[in-house]
Amino acid sequence: MDDLYKEIILDHYQNPNHRGKLIDGIEAGEVNMSCGDSLKISVKIEEDKIVDAKFDGGGCAISMAAVDMLLDKVIGMKLTDVKKMSGAEIEEIMGVELTPSRKKCAYLGLEVLKKIEI
Amino acid sequence: MNYKKYFPIFKKQPNLHYLDSGATALKPQVVIDKMVEYYTDYSANIHRGLYPISERATEEYELAREKVAKFINAKMEEIIFTSGTTDSINLVARAMGLKKDDEVVVEIEAHHSNFVVWQQLGKIVFEITKNTKILAITHVSNVLGQINDIKSIIEQARKINPEIVVVVDGAQAVAHMPVDVTDLDCDFYAFSGHKMYGPTGVGVLYTKAKRQLEMEPAKFGGGMIKTVSTSESTWANGPEKFEAGTPPIAEVIGLGEAIDFINEIGFEEIQKHEKELTEYLLEKIGEINWIKILGSRENKLGLVAMYSDDPKMGTSHDIADILGRDFNVCVRAGHHCAMPLHTKFGIETGTVRASLGIYNTREDIDELIKGLSKTWMIFTKK
Repeated sequence: MDDLYKEIILDHYQNPNHRGKLIDGIEAGEVNMSCGDSLKISVKIEEDKIVDAKFDGGGCAISMAAVDMLLDKVIGMKLTDVKKMSGAEIEEIMGVELTPSRKKCAYLGLEVLKKIEI
Repeated sequence: MNYKKYFPIFKKQPNLHYLDSGATALKPQVVIDKMVEYYTDYSANIHRGLYPISERATEEYELAREKVAKFINAKMEEIIFTSGTTDSINLVARAMGLKKDDEVVVEIEAHHSNFVVWQQLGKIVFEITKNTKILAITHVSNVLGQINDIKSIIEQARKINPEIVVVVDGAQAVAHMPVDVTDLDCDFYAFSGHKMYGPTGVGVLYTKAKRQLEMEPAKFGGGMIKTVSTSESTWANGPEKFEAGTPPIAEVIGLGEAIDFINEIGFEEIQKHEKELTEYLLEKIGEINWIKILGSRENKLGLVAMYSDDPKMGTSHDIADILGRDFNVCVRAGHHCAMPLHTKFGIETGTVRASLGIYNTREDIDELIKGLSKTWMIFTKK
């Protein structure tokens, strides 16, 4: 077993819960082309709360698993609270400590969510 | 032959498997010593210092220029020191007074250093015509590893347009094969010191004598002038005109030593050693069925970009991370500053690039292969 590529991370990467696009969702996106990540997230918001969210795009296992795990966490949360989240919380959700270069991958999903404007 | 003994990094890290010489080469002890010697024994500024240590610094600096000139079969006056390949190519664009509607023929495989500057300052086209001002080509691709037959490309180009200015990016060539700029008949040839066992921060721009006369300075300041009055200035002759300010003296002297290092081993031996390892690398990677190689296997220097087209096997970033963390195998992941090329091949998430240097051994390649097997185990949950 690898310290970083734990089973739970691989599961979210290979069989994500939230891949897709919400037709009536609010969308934001970001690219990190130097490592080949591109990500779009669409969210549905009712009374300030995220009631559904999906992501689409391509990238490394860490960036894709991180966004899927993040969406598990944020569905049901207020968007204003999501925007207050820190990178450290991503690592907490994933249950791993990341090196500086992989932080960039893992934080991509949160960066995109922070760009969502109601 | 094992050349690791010449590189002190392996004394501290005997298990380092460095396969990223395409990004930067490791430094031999002789180069480090030569630079330390400058800083400890004669650390003075060059030119116009009328005292012994400045005279010595100037001599060593100009000796390095002579070594570079001989190394690529040019004249000393044709060698301009820059900060690297990128700086060299930017210098050509600015010194030749490139305008927005000037046509520059570029290649899709070009490194961004030989692409973005032309895109920003000129007009990029992909076909040579009578109107083409500049032809910007790559001697050896930093992704495909292929040696381009630039001599015949230059010949063909000059038949269409005798006035065409030919700029060659030689960054990936100079440490691995002999280069003769006079025989190639290019106008400019750019390369970096740090990819040829020399220091970072120094590069070279070969400028054909005739073209140098057409160049205007791109930087102004000390060292590049002949006279200065309150109303106007005139420029120094030769390479000094383009070397404003205090140059990277220790780095230039270190580069001269790196050239001696290469010459001492000799290209015959370097090419034999690296060809044998390249064949071994290609053979071993060929045995892994989930890994594919970008580009042809023919006419290749020791530089191989690979990828997996199985979407469940992670991307180049994941593979390089596992290789580095678990095996101390150093490779590069991503687009290697060649995004148009990766886009052309439809590989948006990049490739893993392994590139060889004189210090590599079969064991380094074996570790790479072990790391790739582990990657497969991780992603298939075996």
